[in-house]
Amino acid sequence: MSKKFNNRNLWRELKLALLIFLLASAVGLAVNSQMLWRVLSGQSLNTVPVGVDDPVDMILPLPVELAEVRELQGSTTLLIDARSREAFAEGHLPGARSLPRGEEVSGVGALLAEVPLSTPLIVYCSGYDCNDSFELAEGLIAAGYRQVRIYEGGFPEWRDAGLPVERAQP
Amino acid sequence: MIRFQSMCYQVSRLLLGGLFCYAGLVKALDVVAFTGSVANYQLLPYQLNFLVAALLPYVEMTAGLLLLFGRQVRPAVLLIAGMNAVFMIALLSVILRGLDIDCGCFRPAGEGHTSAQMALVRDAGIMLLALVTWFGAPRRNG
Repeated sequence: MSKKFNNRNLWRELKLALLIFLLASAVGLAVNSQMLWRVLSGQSLNTVPVGVDDPVDMILPLPVELAEVRELQGSTTLLIDARSREAFAEGHLPGARSLPRGEEVSGVGALLAEVPLSTPLIVYCSGYDCNDSFELAEGLIAAGYRQVRIYEGGFPEWRDAGLPVERAQP
Repeated sequence: MIRFQSMCYQVSRLLLGGLFCYAGLVKALDVVAFTGSVANYQLLPYQLNFLVAALLPYVEMTAGLLLLFGRQVRPAVLLIAGMNAVFMIALLSVILRGLDIDCGCFRPAGEGHTSAQMALVRDAGIMLLALVTWFGAPRRNG
């Protein structure tokens, strides 16, 4: 009888814990709805702090979706491919520049010499399981770039969407 | 003896409540920085990091406030223990993957550095406080 009573109590407490979780999550959603809407709909570019003098820890690379990457093709935005040089040579997004993870020191140095800090950058790698784009984007922000975003779908999503792929030497 | 148990319960309840209120508040005040901390764990698709960073601080603060005010103590402790268990699994995976990241537990902007090992020890302490609070909390009859 007592065990049955305890189980019933635990079940009730679990349900209450879930309810508290859902209510608190709803508050979090409501408070941050604007930021989440921007981020999840890929409309984050214009709201990112872009001043070169902004403190580095205030800036986080925000995501960008396939549709917006397509729209930005041919604009001043520079695509950065964080995959290996071999993968880049086999195929990459049109106009992308190779900057493999592991070669950031020389790669970012060369980028700084050629590309102004005000240039918007989009970093990508091998899709959703790949973290290189995030780490490279953090390095680029630390180097002074302020408009750095991550195309999380990366090369696989672009290729699978049937979009043109460039094959060239890095 | 009963008085000692009651004192342990009250102290652990207030400590746990205060800790989670503080942890939730500092994260809620800088959601973007906290997103960076969550992303450093490399466990979630990038966009989901923003969702977790938007929700988690409010769950922490709510559970903490309930404990501080002594309301729905056992459900709040269940919630805290559940979150803490998830944090511990995430920290273990960080250690196993050899990542050197700040845990982002209390200072999401990365001021100071708490290693995954240190954070795991601290989480074990939090789990102990949760156990003391759970067993000390009065049960509702019926």
